[in-house]
Amino acid sequence: MFVARSIAADHKDLIHDVSYDFHGRRMATCSSDQSVKVWDKSENGEWLCTASWKTHSGSVWRVTWAHPEFGQVLASCSFDRTAAVWEEIVGESNDKQRGLSHWIKRTTLVDSRTSVTDVKFAPKHMGLMLATCSADGVVRIYEAPDVMNLSQWSLQHEISCKLSCSCISWNPSSSRAHPPMLAVGSDDSNTTYGGKVQIYEYNENTRKYSKAETLMTVTDAVHDISFAPNLGRSFHVLAIATKDVRIFKLVPLRKESTTTGPTKFDVQIMAQFDHHNSQVWRVSWNVTSTLLASSGDDGCVRLWKANYMDNWKCAGILKGDGSPLTGLSGQPTAMSTVVGSSLQTSQNALNGTSAGRIAKRASFAPPLRQLTSPKINQSPA
Amino acid sequence: MSGSKPDILWSPHHPDLYVICDSELGLYRIGPVGGTETKPGTLSLSKETAATLLAINSDTPYMKCVAWYPKHEPECLLAVGQANGRVVLTSLGQNHNSTCKELVGKEFVPKHARQCNTLAWNPVDSNLLAAGLDKHRADFSVLIWDISSKFAPETSVAAEKIRLSFVDLDSSSVVTKPLYELGQNDACLSLCWLLRDPKLLLAGMHRNLAIFDLRNTSQKMFVNTKAIQGVTVDPHFHDRVASFFEGQVAIWDLRKFEKPVLTLTEQPKPLIKVAWCPTRTGLLATLTRDSNIIRLYDMQHTPTPIGDETEPTIIERSVQPCESQIGSFAWHPSSQNRMVVVSASNRVMTDFTVFERVSLAWSSTTSLTWACGRHLYDCVEDSTGGTEGAAETDIATKMRERAQSRYGHDTVQVWRNHLLAGGTDPQLKSLWFDLFYMKQCAEDQELKLQGNKQSVVYSGIKNIIKTSSGTTESRRCWSGSDRQADVPRFYSEERCLALRLCGWISRGPDINVETFLRSLEHEREWERAAAIALFNLDIRRAIQILNKGAMAENGDLNLNVVAMALSGYTDEKSSLWREMCSSLRLQLKNPYLCVMFAFLTSEAGAYDGVLYESSVAVRDRVAFACMFLGDAQLPRYIDKLTNDMKEAGNLEGILLTGLTKDGVDLMESYVDRTADVQTASFCMLKGSPGEVLKDPRVQCWIENYRNLLDAWRFWHKRAEFDILRGKMDPSSKPLAQVFVSCNFCGKSISYSCSAIPHQGRGFSQYGVSGSPTKSKVTSCPGCRKPLPRCALCLMNMGTPVSGCSGTGKSDEKVDLTRENKLAQFKNWFTWCHNCRHGGHAGHMLSWFRDHTECPVSACTCKCMQLDTTGNLVPADSS
Repeated sequence: MFVARSIAADHKDLIHDVSYDFHGRRMATCSSDQSVKVWDKSENGEWLCTASWKTHSGSVWRVTWAHPEFGQVLASCSFDRTAAVWEEIVGESNDKQRGLSHWIKRTTLVDSRTSVTDVKFAPKHMGLMLATCSADGVVRIYEAPDVMNLSQWSLQHEISCKLSCSCISWNPSSSRAHPPMLAVGSDDSNTTYGGKVQIYEYNENTRKYSKAETLMTVTDAVHDISFAPNLGRSFHVLAIATKDVRIFKLVPLRKESTTTGPTKFDVQIMAQFDHHNSQVWRVSWNVTSTLLASSGDDGCVRLWKANYMDNWKCAGILKGDGSPLTGLSGQPTAMSTVVGSSLQTSQNALNGTSAGRIAKRASFAPPLRQLTSPKINQSPA
Repeated sequence: MSGSKPDILWSPHHPDLYVICDSELGLYRIGPVGGTETKPGTLSLSKETAATLLAINSDTPYMKCVAWYPKHEPECLLAVGQANGRVVLTSLGQNHNSTCKELVGKEFVPKHARQCNTLAWNPVDSNLLAAGLDKHRADFSVLIWDISSKFAPETSVAAEKIRLSFVDLDSSSVVTKPLYELGQNDACLSLCWLLRDPKLLLAGMHRNLAIFDLRNTSQKMFVNTKAIQGVTVDPHFHDRVASFFEGQVAIWDLRKFEKPVLTLTEQPKPLIKVAWCPTRTGLLATLTRDSNIIRLYDMQHTPTPIGDETEPTIIERSVQPCESQIGSFAWHPSSQNRMVVVSASNRVMTDFTVFERVSLAWSSTTSLTWACGRHLYDCVEDSTGGTEGAAETDIATKMRERAQSRYGHDTVQVWRNHLLAGGTDPQLKSLWFDLFYMKQCAEDQELKLQGNKQSVVYSGIKNIIKTSSGTTESRRCWSGSDRQADVPRFYSEERCLALRLCGWISRGPDINVETFLRSLEHEREWERAAAIALFNLDIRRAIQILNKGAMAENGDLNLNVVAMALSGYTDEKSSLWREMCSSLRLQLKNPYLCVMFAFLTSEAGAYDGVLYESSVAVRDRVAFACMFLGDAQLPRYIDKLTNDMKEAGNLEGILLTGLTKDGVDLMESYVDRTADVQTASFCMLKGSPGEVLKDPRVQCWIENYRNLLDAWRFWHKRAEFDILRGKMDPSSKPLAQVFVSCNFCGKSISYSCSAIPHQGRGFSQYGVSGSPTKSKVTSCPGCRKPLPRCALCLMNMGTPVSGCSGTGKSDEKVDLTRENKLAQFKNWFTWCHNCRHGGHAGHMLSWFRDHTECPVSACTCKCMQLDTTGNLVPADSS
């Protein structure tokens, strides 16, 4: 059972990304208004904006938090072809007393010649590392060799993916059995260019990232990609937002000690959902990777959950404006009777008056009957 | 819009009114479903909205184009362009006030009749109405009419006149002299007024786009292009204009008008409408002929006029508002991203909102936030509404709750941990009972065998059975019956241990299940108790238990029937009883009742009906196997069962594998399946210290679990977990992190500071050094120089704060080692890493309760705010 409420965001243009910090007490948003906002959760659970500043000279596509071990550090990337690293500074002004904090730019990464479409910090056990990808198809991996000095970043690797990159995800596994790995998705819509998801793995011997796998079955534009938190599992799970939601399982095949090449994987598709009936825009895993949230061009947020047999099912639907879903494809659903005030709330949202902090509460609709038995394609290998 | 092709216009000022025009004009009011459903003639537009037809106007035939008067008053005034080039002002269904009356019915007639292609009201000077006409020889094709012409400047006066000369209305309402005539010897296909300057008119002419300036009509700025249809100005970016030709849209920047800044990918069919979204920057909707989708172009970056050759990023999207082919659409002027769509054929309308792309993120505490457009939504799991059952709860939430209830921390009554986990998961129950019995046996064995069997106990029944030797076989009587039973039973020391691990017996070597049966009766597990009694060849006891079960409160009376059936047992091979039991038992719902009859009807040594009944608890099946399977069969059965359990990741199998590598394999598939690293970590910590904990997979689970606790800010729980882990695995203990060294001699000052854990011994060491002044805790134990002073009380550090410490030698020793260790946190040495000022912890804390800056004069360091994580409150502090 999930309950939604609205937060007065006060961005002047579209919000492109939302990101939580490690503890879930802080949140960052970025927008086409070229700014980033930082939100802190107050004791009573309300989100308060404690910082808002202009970060780039173009739309800011993504914002992401570093592990708090490295301090309060954010990275952002933008249409202005740069990525930037920001650190919160306390003690230089009295802003904290007014409930505001001060963020300063530690570095600007200017290597890209096109829009930087995604930026992600590497898992903490790898140190302070950052990966960016850009529209011209280059993935760059930076490292801050001295974690105390965030203004020094060196470009460690440049991987050419040949296809315009839209999203990137680090494999979060901290197991020593799993070498550093990242997945890159391309939004190139030409299906004849082959697989749009590439997986790169770090090779200890060559000290380079090399391609370990291309998911050849994903040929449509990929908008988002996300490795599931590993949590000690023996395999990796990857969620992909393309024309549908797909969940892949990558089982590392036992390596013979003599081979030095990249790990081979047994790639299995665990689930594939076209319930959005449109392009899927984002996917996000919860902390145990037992719940997946996806958003699509149908304006809905959907939750997916696996039962103990690894059968994934829809666990909830909510409209993007926070109102409950009142039906798809013409037939009435249970939901329209559950929430009596649904009409009111959706009207509010349409007229743009839904700025109240707890303006409305609505429940995630139970999935429609025909949605409870998703199409699951279990491919043999 | 010509002929039957419909078009839609929203009222510029009424958010709920729009007009559909095809062969006639229809005015509709849109409203919520509930409000209008009683009225007849309501058309449903979406789940929430419906439209009512307010008025129809069919006065103006041969409509080619329509434009809505842009000002508030008079409302519902429309200009209609006709096939003969006439422009007629008309109105819809409103009570006509004077201003409206004089305008309605006015006609503006061009010199030569030809089709009127487009109309555009000037947004500022609303008297100006531009009409674009087809070509007629050398005539002008853009005519700008002044709708107030032929009237005196003050309209109120004009109204008087009109009323007086009502008879003359017909002739006076025809205007033939336009205010401006533009575009000679050309055709005009589309028009729009520029928003940056209302004197400028952009026209899509025959083969060029032209900008006319009303201040100087002799000149025009133009650019040759084919894309001359549907010119429209971006309401958010007044220099940006879109136009189209066939399937291609061109975007123009009026500041560098020479060529389009952008052409969008060509669509296969000719376009019929292109419109900028009025509520959102850079969103262009396009519609092609014979299509049921609207293609949206989201231009993410405003183009810059000079120098920068960056192309705007365009995100292309398609939306499908309805099933049928779309005739036309119109953006709502104020509702965000909302449009009404009308179908091409039968005037079916759909109210539709284009959703912004939603980005989302989960927090570590399972709350979901997403951003839609400019709005943010926060969504939390509502645990109070969890009536659907605990099975629905996500494992993340479960683990959080279990951590709160100290799950895994009961190291004495180990089985109780399953209650701490909620007591609903049968696998966890089985697991913790397994571990409990293992612990019991291990302790018991320890007494007898001084620990050398301890590892055997934790190595699981699979390994215990393997070491089995000296199995004796016996044929026992059915107790309470004098018949010789043909049931061989096996006995050995190891099998006895296995039975203990299964929980059937509590002490060896006698196999006496009576205590176990009693406890099962107590828990009202009648069927299970009866089955176990039967397996111990006590048919009378089994019947007795079933009777008891039937008699008990809310008991199942059918148990009596089962008891009756049992009492008829005969070992006659061909008896009717045997025949009926073996067929009817499969219909019994309770697996234990089922296996009872399976046991009674099977041949000795062929107990598949019992052994492979998967609904029976593994411990009962294993115990059964240990009693009735011979040395050849038993290991085979156990191996098979173990592999099944490992594959399924079933925690009941821990009984078989124990906490060995096999057990880790099993736990691995359990973690793969459930992500429950919490159970995995605690379970592995219960094992005997050693190899299991060193398994990298176990280490990985433990690290992941600790990481989860950290992310949830369950720091106290993490610390408790670390303490527990340190007991089991001393190698995991971290080294001391900080030493404070003396300014003068550089040695550690450990004994005088109560912060260091081993100060008890350190103290006595220094104490015996024989100095009478050793009670001075304010000095360095190495060189006896005084320690730094507290920034607040200006006493040397180490000074007891509130005079609570005694002066005597013995007193002090007690102080430092016992109560003070816990109580005197305020005596602790603290300092800021940034400015390196510090003092007694208690003093510093109370200072920073009211201040932000460091207490040392002229130091502006905001010591307490430097660490954001440090200011977070642990979520599990009680």
